[in-house]
Amino acid sequence: MAAVAPPTQAPGSSKANASQILPSELIDRCVGSPIWVIMKSQTELTGTLRGFDVYVNMVLDDVTEFERLADGQVRTNKMEQILLNGNNIAALVPGGKPDA
Amino acid sequence: MSAAAAPNSAQQSKSTPSDFLRTIRGRPVTVRLTTGVDYRGVLVQIDGYMNVALEGCEEWNGTQLKAKYGDAFLRGNNVLYISATSGAK
Amino acid sequence: MSGAQVGDASASAGAGSAGDVDATVKEPLDLIRLSLDERVFVKLRGERELRGKLHAYDQHLNMVLGDVEESVTTVETDEETFEEIIKTKKREIPFLFVRGDGVVLVAPPLRST
Repeated sequence: MAAVAPPTQAPGSSKANASQILPSELIDRCVGSPIWVIMKSQTELTGTLRGFDVYVNMVLDDVTEFERLADGQVRTNKMEQILLNGNNIAALVPGGKPDA
Repeated sequence: MSAAAAPNSAQQSKSTPSDFLRTIRGRPVTVRLTTGVDYRGVLVQIDGYMNVALEGCEEWNGTQLKAKYGDAFLRGNNVLYISATSGAK
Repeated sequence: MSGAQVGDASASAGAGSAGDVDATVKEPLDLIRLSLDERVFVKLRGERELRGKLHAYDQHLNMVLGDVEESVTTVETDEETFEEIIKTKKREIPFLFVRGDGVVLVAPPLRST
């Protein structure tokens, strides 16, 4: 019986593991700052993160979209504010895009 | 954690996705689908799935206007982003 | 439908009291409810389009359509001239069930023209 019962708290989860950071915590720290979003497709976006939810749908301000076209050219598109669907996000880089 | 960690940059108010949905009803928007096609129109309604109802909807492929619909329903799973288009059209 | 939702936004607003047809659009799907028994235009994945009378639908956008005209557009590249050949195949289908996950856009008939 006792062996099956799950521990009420994972060892060290209270405060010891300060080095460990949850992914959602990392994103939470980016709110108000520039962020670089790489989509699963050939699209990337940069902007200021205004908020997000549990699905990592995001509200971004002052957005630049970089769209890699079939011929290798990159089309950019600027937008004031967007709601980005979290479904198609591949990666996030806090701090924004280096050359943008 | 610590109060000292608070960023000193001018913080604008935090806006979660559900806040955004509440503010953009009735406004002109661009809805970009994952296929790359854009739909522009006035946002009549939107739900948590990002299903969208647009009024005066135009279908754009890049800079080409492909079609016009009086009203249109867009299924949320195809939505890449919804952009609040500012200014008059 | 797709699993992910936006935060706590209510996905299923109350359908209101039974009885008269409520003509307001409280949620996006109401737009489709108002098109019941009318001819609608449905855009599907894979360059497929349907025009038909909407008999029924559900929250997944599964739909039952009658007297449907289906058109499928294909783009072929000529291997010698590299010209793009756009072909549209059309066919009539008297009665059709459409699975919701393929639906991209639903447009009611143009009311004011």
